[in-house]
Amino acid sequence: MGWMSGISVGDRPVTLITAAEAPLLARPYFADGDPGPIIAALAQVPEMLEVVAPFLGVVLGPSALDLRTKEVVILRTSARASCRYCVEAHTVVALDSGLSDDEVRALRGELGVEDAFPAEADRAVIAWCDALVGTGSVDAACRDRLRQGRPDHVVVELTLLATTTLLLNRFCTALELPTAPDVLARLAAAGMAS
Amino acid sequence: MSTAIAEAVADGRLPGRVWLYANYHCNLVCTYCLTDSSPKSPRRDLAADRMVDLAVQARALGFTDLGVTGGEPFLRPDMVDVLLAMAEQLPTVVLSNATLFHGDRLTRVETLAGQPVTIQVSLDYADAEDNDAQRGDDNHATVVAAISRLVERGIRVRVGTTLDPDAEVSDDEQARLCALHRSLGVADEDHVVRPIVRRGRADVADVGVRATVADLPPELTVTADGAWWSPFGPTIRDGVPETDMLITRTTDPLVTPATALLRLIDGRPPGDDAHLGIR
Repeated sequence: MGWMSGISVGDRPVTLITAAEAPLLARPYFADGDPGPIIAALAQVPEMLEVVAPFLGVVLGPSALDLRTKEVVILRTSARASCRYCVEAHTVVALDSGLSDDEVRALRGELGVEDAFPAEADRAVIAWCDALVGTGSVDAACRDRLRQGRPDHVVVELTLLATTTLLLNRFCTALELPTAPDVLARLAAAGMAS
Repeated sequence: MSTAIAEAVADGRLPGRVWLYANYHCNLVCTYCLTDSSPKSPRRDLAADRMVDLAVQARALGFTDLGVTGGEPFLRPDMVDVLLAMAEQLPTVVLSNATLFHGDRLTRVETLAGQPVTIQVSLDYADAEDNDAQRGDDNHATVVAAISRLVERGIRVRVGTTLDPDAEVSDDEQARLCALHRSLGVADEDHVVRPIVRRGRADVADVGVRATVADLPPELTVTADGAWWSPFGPTIRDGVPETDMLITRTTDPLVTPATALLRLIDGRPPGDDAHLGIR
């Protein structure tokens, strides 16, 4: 029984499945312990879980993009989409991936991007995320900044990462997914609690 | 025809019967009910056309038999028509408490005579006192009379006996139950005895054997809430279907849960199969 087992269904939109309740197709995701609330929610529809979870793993996990850039995209997109769960979770991941306190605060919208990110390469990625979270329509100048020196496959992956993050932002916000206690403790220690 | 499903049924890896939960409400409140059924239970009906369509799909996939359970299926006014349509596809067994077979409902049930439909009636003990303690006042007398009426009308009847594994049932009492069903025209091969499974209300009442997927035959079971490993899977606890034996929420097309079930079966280690005799 993990920390989510104490959360009653009356407290949130859906029941988060525990290891003891895991449907048959979902059991592998619980085999190594608490899989987190996204998987625990998806386990309500196991045939979706077994497709979505690997998809998320590929898009958000190690890939041709470096980890730091991926966390810039995920945290910035989540902050612009006002996803409490994703911002809290990925603030910790961003710090662990080598982003500075000021960079993380800037991605969260607490400091200016221009101050924290001197490199145009980073600023172009952040502007791309901001555009995607907005109307989804990207103007030519923003597109040209992103494409500067980047091959097509990188542009595609950055875009897929941002839009997949946006999907998760809406999912986690709508279902009011809870942040793990250890993450909240890390945020408090870093002075970045919500 | 899905070759993989048909082959798995033919070689015995996948049981041939598909179970459908017609509903979850019941006129009885049995002490060990897996589905926590009662007159006040949410119905969770499978629509009549949906049940018939599932029967069509089951046959096309290569399944060989159908089962209908609940709740008490015959609380539904359309149940006999549904069974007749399902039986046009595959032989069908329907589980019933047999307390409703009189008057107009009995007249409707009579049309099942001569059709490939078997009614499996619950009768737990030879002695009314023991039986009625689990299934309600006057249940024994009502069911015995109903079995006679069904058999007289040419309807095939099976008797399903569910026993508390911790209760000491003497050989004499078991023999008297078998003598009773024989006297009613139900042959030994149509008498099924299984233990109470500790799920749903039985778990709350602290009775029955604990059963996992390793203990239960993988009989594809469809309810209004999804597809399960076994008819013992979609039990109700605190008003919510338990998910530990859930396969998929998708039930249409039927090939989706059937294929997923087959993957689960093929992924089991050798020897990891049913051994508690629960059926």
